[in-house]
Amino acid sequence: MPGKLGHFFVITAFVMALFSCFSYWLAAVSEDKDVQGSRGWLLFGRNGFIIHSAAIVGIFATLFYVISNHLFEYHYAWRHSDLSLSPKYLLSCFWEGQEGSFLLWTFWDCVLGIVVMLTAKSLESRTMTIISLVQVALTTMVLGFYFGDSIKIGSNPFLLLREQMQGAPIFAQPNYLEFVKDGNGLNILLQNYWMVIHPPVLFLGFASTIVPFAYTIAALWKGEYQKWIKPTWCWSLFSGAVLGTGIMMGGAWAYESLSFGGYWAWDPVENASLVPWLVLVGGLHTIIIFKATGRSLVVTTIFFILAYLLVWYSTFLTRTGILGDTSVHAFTDEGKSLYWHLLIVIGVLVALSIAMLIKRWKTMPRVKTEEAINSREFWMFIGSFILLLSAVQIIITTSIPVWSPMVKSISGKDVAPPADPVQHYNSIQVWVAFILCTLMATILYLRFKSSDNKLVWKRLGITAAIALVMALIVGYLQRITTPQYDLMLFGCCYTIVGMVYYAISIQKLKFKKLGPATSHLGFGLLMLAILISSYNKHAISLNTTGERIGIFDDKSREKDIKENMEHVMMFKNVPMTMGDYTVTYKGDSTISDPEAPGNIHVLYKVLYEHLDTTTKQAIESFTLYPEIVHNANKQMNNGVANPASRHYLSHDVFTYLTPLNDTKKDTAQFRSHEVKPGDTIFISNGYIVFTGLDANVSNPNYHAEANDVAVSAKLDVYDLKGKVGSMQPVYYIRDKQYVDLVTDTLKDLDMYARVQHINPETKTVDVQIKQDDPKDDFIVIKTLIFPYINLVWLGVIVMVLGFLLSLYNRLTKKEKEKASFTEGYPFSK
Amino acid sequence: MKIHTHDGQVRFNLLNFAFSKLLMKRTHIILLVLVAVAVTVIITMFGDFSTYETFATAAKEPGRQYHVIGYLEKSKAFEYNPQTDPNHCTFYVKDKAGNLNKVIFNGAKPTDIEKSEQIVMTGMMQGNEFHCSKIQMKCPSKYKNDQVVVGNAS
Repeated sequence: MPGKLGHFFVITAFVMALFSCFSYWLAAVSEDKDVQGSRGWLLFGRNGFIIHSAAIVGIFATLFYVISNHLFEYHYAWRHSDLSLSPKYLLSCFWEGQEGSFLLWTFWDCVLGIVVMLTAKSLESRTMTIISLVQVALTTMVLGFYFGDSIKIGSNPFLLLREQMQGAPIFAQPNYLEFVKDGNGLNILLQNYWMVIHPPVLFLGFASTIVPFAYTIAALWKGEYQKWIKPTWCWSLFSGAVLGTGIMMGGAWAYESLSFGGYWAWDPVENASLVPWLVLVGGLHTIIIFKATGRSLVVTTIFFILAYLLVWYSTFLTRTGILGDTSVHAFTDEGKSLYWHLLIVIGVLVALSIAMLIKRWKTMPRVKTEEAINSREFWMFIGSFILLLSAVQIIITTSIPVWSPMVKSISGKDVAPPADPVQHYNSIQVWVAFILCTLMATILYLRFKSSDNKLVWKRLGITAAIALVMALIVGYLQRITTPQYDLMLFGCCYTIVGMVYYAISIQKLKFKKLGPATSHLGFGLLMLAILISSYNKHAISLNTTGERIGIFDDKSREKDIKENMEHVMMFKNVPMTMGDYTVTYKGDSTISDPEAPGNIHVLYKVLYEHLDTTTKQAIESFTLYPEIVHNANKQMNNGVANPASRHYLSHDVFTYLTPLNDTKKDTAQFRSHEVKPGDTIFISNGYIVFTGLDANVSNPNYHAEANDVAVSAKLDVYDLKGKVGSMQPVYYIRDKQYVDLVTDTLKDLDMYARVQHINPETKTVDVQIKQDDPKDDFIVIKTLIFPYINLVWLGVIVMVLGFLLSLYNRLTKKEKEKASFTEGYPFSK
Repeated sequence: MKIHTHDGQVRFNLLNFAFSKLLMKRTHIILLVLVAVAVTVIITMFGDFSTYETFATAAKEPGRQYHVIGYLEKSKAFEYNPQTDPNHCTFYVKDKAGNLNKVIFNGAKPTDIEKSEQIVMTGMMQGNEFHCSKIQMKCPSKYKNDQVVVGNAS
């Protein structure tokens, strides 16, 4: 039943998007000739869009109902969730699947569309035509229409399990549902709070790039570029802030729950979201140039169009499985149909954009004169262009699987991604970071059109001098020796110093004007943080020399091997030196998550002690609990590693384990020792002194009864450092009839002791000791030191705040647009 | 553009000529330079790209890093003894040409490698062994192919 309702919503959403697009289009083409008629179509368009949005909300609610009520007859619920799933992760199931994430995107588009509808005024008909056109494309993704057997358009999230897997014998039985008791479950890696909040933010960022795009097409459509500026500017600020936040939230998730040890790995999926952001930010800067000087109109339109097309291209890269494996091309059916589907959508958007650009190419206003070299617009333009080049480099390498078949058919060479992608990107993008950082402070000192050279040089000189000192200090303390990273370091310092200087001495700390200074300061901080944290990230497991093996170094094969040598094996209770720490594996314990009973968490207790070099006393100690999580559904036999880290202001200690097949065996046995008071028993890593028998029994596991005769043996346990603890195994005779024992244990040493027998004649006691063989209990662990990771998050937060501050300033500013443009820049027609 | 100097000679200032005839602005020139730099960078970048090879073709240039795609030979033992060396795995892989080769992976054992359908190894031939530092596996999950990256250097 909910399936039927859901499907009804899907159809409604699709039809209404079409209707809205068509009405808005008619409104747009008739608004100059027939105002009355256009108004009518506009109302149709609005209503269509609102009904469409309501239907999308309906789909959302229905699908959520299906998942949260565990209706496993639906494929989506069965595939992405199970009964044991904690309610807080239900939303993650929603976006784990293809359809759910498209729905999320569609949903955000609806929200953004309604805001545009209410604010676009005279641009509404055109922008909304574009937005509803995209909604048509997005709803086809969940349509699930079949043409014949081979062509399938979209994939309906409300498909029943038996429809999805036709022909499976189980469905021949009418009562098949009785066998489908539980779902497949959610990937353990996605059961993380970041996975609940990060996709909505990232998708809002992705979706929001449609607004600058729609406005740009709208402007080109009728060749009106004045009213276009303000909303496009504001929306690109919004987009930049949200998409930037989303990307770094993804980094935070990767850092916390994946074990590649970092927040950024130049992974194709990460790159695919970074590239549109870079291009969008480029557009944001050129539109400022256009506003101030009337220049750069053409590139601005191209930037915004490109940013949006890249969002779709990213979707193509990450969803069709094309990145998965270059040479196999074994897509799942879904991937295959999606492949053409997405290509068609991209084709339509590209054709539309190119047609609009060609139509207006000749008549777009351009300024014929030259920019002055000492003008802000000149350097800002170059900066934006560098952003574009950076994006081009990233997308070319990321797209290797896309273009390599072509190269193969021509040259026969089967091109693969770089053997070391991180090194590949870093070695190129370090120059981008350096140039951008150097441009930033310089540009803000310059004025549009032309500047006072003397003043600019003075300010630049002061900034550069302070930055140089700062860079030298940081470089010395952080031991950054590679020349290009020293340059980058200087660039970062230059930006940071420049922005603070600019904010204080030029903007006089006027709150509303601080947007640019803040966002660029954030960027500078972020770059600095990325540099320091990546350059000095090092493993302390194994690598006790403290030698740096930063990922920014040129890597030889030896280093490559060494990096992989960072896993060490630790036996239980055998301390090991790692960097400044003495690390001891103390044992494991198994818990099941009360909120997700299907998952079994095995916590491994690892003690880190920072010892004073002279006294050998622990100055500081902490315990980390890296986990191995096993899923009851056993998607992965050996479990999934969940890292643990200790956060400090200046660095993180980050550790994770390698899941192993459980090899633990209980091979140890009790051994007898005949002892008298004062005797010593030697054990593998220490000794035990038997101090005597005690009639005052204090063992908590012994419950005294009336006629008991009980004694406990007092055993003091020492290891090489000193006394570790004591044990009081109990020996008692109950009701004068039977003898019983209470075994005592010493957890730290995995030791069990019991009194087997008391011999009154020889006055000896038979103490039995069992100690687990520490060789049976071990972990394979890797520990990394991540310096200044907090600075990374700080940089991002400051940058995003800067975007928002600029947005706030833009929104509240009284526009003097008319005035500034009638001043008459020499437009050429 | 002809320039009349004070002694009456006519000279061509080539740069100005180019500017005026081709309507080139300073920005255009800088853009051209940037594009040229970018093209150079992109061309040199291609040197970074690896290729997919088989064991046999990778052996032609021992010591050079390649990607090799293959299938874990499940009839032979997968050796991993963390007690002796937690960063060392030895196993056999059949490449796409069908040749079986011994592989040494310098790292902890990739989770669930026994269940992998296909693996992509990044490494080089040394003698008769393929030494790799990175393994990418394709694991069958019932209805979609999940990619799991493990043993990633750094």
